[in-house]
Amino acid sequence: MELSGQNKDIKSARELGLVACTRCTKVWPAGTETCGRCGKHLQSRDTTSLQRVWAFWFVGFLCYIPANMYPMLQTRTLLSVQEDTIVGGAIELFHYGSPGIALIILIASVAIPVAKFLAIAFLAISVVRVSSVSMHQRQLLYEVVEYIGRWSMIDIFVVAIMSSLVQLNTLAAITPGRASLFFALSVIFTMLSAQAFDSRMIWDVQSGHSDTPDAAEGTAPSDRTAT
Amino acid sequence: MSDTPPPVQVERQRKTRLSRFSIVWIIPLLAIAIALGVAWQSYSARGPVIEIKFENGAGIAERETELRYRDVAVGVVEEVRFSEDLASVVAAVRVDKDVASYIDVSASFWIVRPEVTARGITGLDTVLSGVYIEGTWDSKIGTPQTRFDGLADAPLFRPGGNGLEIVMRTTPDGTMTDDSPITYRGIEVGRVGKASISPEGNYAVAEALIYEEHRRLISSSTRFWETSGFTFSVGPQGAEIDFSSVATLVSGGLTFGTFVSGGEPVRNGTVFEVYGTEEEARNSLFQAADVDAFEARVIFDENVSGLVVDAPVEINGLKIGEVQSVRAVIDEEEFGDSRVRLSVVLAIQPARLGLQGDVTPDAARSFIADRVANGLRARLTSASILTGGLKIDLVQVDDADPLTLEIPEDALPTIPTTESDIVDAAATVEGVVNRINNLPIEELLGSAIDFLDSAQALVANEDLQETPGEVRAILSEIRTIVASDDVQNIPVALNASVTRLESLLREIEETELAARLVNAVDAAADAATGVSTSVEGIPALVERIEAVAAKAEALPVEELANQLTELAAAAEGILDTEAARQLPADLSAALNEINATLTEFREGGAVTNLNATLGSARRAADAVATSTEDLPALVERLGNVLNQASVTIAGYNKGDTLSREAQSALRDISQAADALTSLARMLERNPSALIRGR
Repeated sequence: MELSGQNKDIKSARELGLVACTRCTKVWPAGTETCGRCGKHLQSRDTTSLQRVWAFWFVGFLCYIPANMYPMLQTRTLLSVQEDTIVGGAIELFHYGSPGIALIILIASVAIPVAKFLAIAFLAISVVRVSSVSMHQRQLLYEVVEYIGRWSMIDIFVVAIMSSLVQLNTLAAITPGRASLFFALSVIFTMLSAQAFDSRMIWDVQSGHSDTPDAAEGTAPSDRTAT
Repeated sequence: MSDTPPPVQVERQRKTRLSRFSIVWIIPLLAIAIALGVAWQSYSARGPVIEIKFENGAGIAERETELRYRDVAVGVVEEVRFSEDLASVVAAVRVDKDVASYIDVSASFWIVRPEVTARGITGLDTVLSGVYIEGTWDSKIGTPQTRFDGLADAPLFRPGGNGLEIVMRTTPDGTMTDDSPITYRGIEVGRVGKASISPEGNYAVAEALIYEEHRRLISSSTRFWETSGFTFSVGPQGAEIDFSSVATLVSGGLTFGTFVSGGEPVRNGTVFEVYGTEEEARNSLFQAADVDAFEARVIFDENVSGLVVDAPVEINGLKIGEVQSVRAVIDEEEFGDSRVRLSVVLAIQPARLGLQGDVTPDAARSFIADRVANGLRARLTSASILTGGLKIDLVQVDDADPLTLEIPEDALPTIPTTESDIVDAAATVEGVVNRINNLPIEELLGSAIDFLDSAQALVANEDLQETPGEVRAILSEIRTIVASDDVQNIPVALNASVTRLESLLREIEETELAARLVNAVDAAADAATGVSTSVEGIPALVERIEAVAAKAEALPVEELANQLTELAAAAEGILDTEAARQLPADLSAALNEINATLTEFREGGAVTNLNATLGSARRAADAVATSTEDLPALVERLGNVLNQASVTIAGYNKGDTLSREAQSALRDISQAADALTSLARMLERNPSALIRGR
């Protein structure tokens, strides 16, 4: 990645008429179709990146709705069958006097996914519109989102372990609810969405912003279509 | 990358509008399509909502309580709310689409709760899982309905449920236990539901269900009766206690019986009456048979108490009717005297005679007439010894006088009678009591009292009372004698004598004991033979003893008692005499004399004399013993002397005269020796001869 200091006059490779191979990092003159070293198709900017980001983001968000509506765990004991949604289970735990665990569940299953949706949406918008948040902060945000994405699966792991351990036939049994499937799908699609984001665009906006501050929106399509 | 590449012209590449869109957009479109599809499907698969009204909603929970049909969940309660007037609870149930169309006007619903009754526990599973709503409906699609009134309890009849549905009705003044089992031979074959009072209020009506497999038990001639609790009755047939099972004892129940064959199968809705007892049910069958009883009259010469109205009339132990009326008649014209007779009217049920063909009173009359001609007679019989009740038995008398059943025009036919068979236990007991009464107990007691009075007078006599004192004095005298040294020495002396005698006797006994034993055994054998011969006579003896016993038995108790009385009187007379009174005085005198004699005896030194005598006897015995020991030696010596003498004599054989004289002298000596030997033998046998001089 094009990490550098706080120098505002830094030039991107594209401005210098270069294109870097994203696999073997060899720099080629702009317009080169394929990398002469590793044979990868060269592309100065991924033109469909934002489209894919939004598409995956949308599917992830779609899955997140049933993930919260349907029960996550089905606990069947001798006397009763209990089904809890994510938020309902956390509230119940809070009532039973385990605010710590309730907090962890709320953070892991509600706060982080929601924050991820917001962060990806913000990043996707900020590469198109002018943002007051500095490019470095946005780059950091992107890295955090990408790093934290896989940890959202911890809920699914908990459900999988619980339901495989507690299988005492009629006495007590825990089975994953329908929400666990949707939650897993939601996490997968947000991760895909985060990966589809081409972080180089963050810097294009900066260059675009420094070159033509009044036509940031106008440059973006041209950037996307340029090769 | 040291060279700076030349500036590049960034070309704008025009693409078609379609190609500008990423293919990735298919995924969200697909997701939306799936979501919409699922939503539509689940919406379209939803069944309708029905509303069931219950009096209370005990245990019904939204989204948990299930609606079940044949114990399979077909819906779930979505909402529980009150009706507008708050009078009931309305449960909105979302039913499965595939059964929804069957839930029509025929459907009924009730809440299944755990229930504990005398018959057992039901709905136990609902304790853990919570209550559920059970529904039942038939298998035909009918007029749809969405509002239902829930039942308070599980209904007895279920649409499509198999079984015979009948109606139970009490007799006009009868009672009935509702919601109870119908048992047959102890097996539950059906149930009676909740009873209700008929609009007129004169009887109770309840639905009842006979399970399908027992349907054939019910016919139009079946009669139902109550088995609730137990019945206790005392009648002509004795005491009866009757109850069928513990369950019916607690909760009541019905049972039924089919007493006659030929009933027709019944259809649903047939009404049956419930009778109080089996007897009523049985009787009702004949009343309902529309057959009048055949009435006949019986005239009994004896007038015995115990026959009551409704007493059974039996033939060969089988009840065929009842006594309808009992009254006394005096009719000089008919019977020739003015004695009181017992006129009994019998009602005989023709149906119970087992007649072939027509079951009518006329048929019964001709049957009875036929039987009477063959010897059928009526008699009074004890029905129960305990209660003394009587019944009328129609019996076959083999050697009866030929009689015919009189059938007068204007009166009832009269069945001839025979001798009554009444077990009169009372009369027997009375006779025994009378005999006991006749015993002269009072005289006996009087005599005994007199006797005791005399005895008391005798005992009270002063002389007699003194007697014990004198007897005691005599005893003390005797004690002093016994305590004296001389007397105490007697055993020592006797002991010594006996020891000596024993040693003597032992020597003597050794010689002849065995032979004597043999003789004794022989004699014993002879005796045994004699005994066995005499044993043969024992049976005869026993017979004689028996004869004697018989005679003894034959002895009249009264006479014995009388004699006893006389004896007692005689004893009394004797005791009353002067002589008897004098007896104690004489006895006293006699004792005094004995006393004096004993005193003399002591003073006269008799004991000392006796002691001395025994001492000398002992010495004599000692001497005899010593001399007896010497005797064999003496005899031996004599033998030696004789031998020597005979040798000497043999030496003097030459001189005849001398020899002859010597021989006679020797013979004398020999005789003397023989005499000594016999003396010694005699002494050996009988040492006391020395003392006694014989």
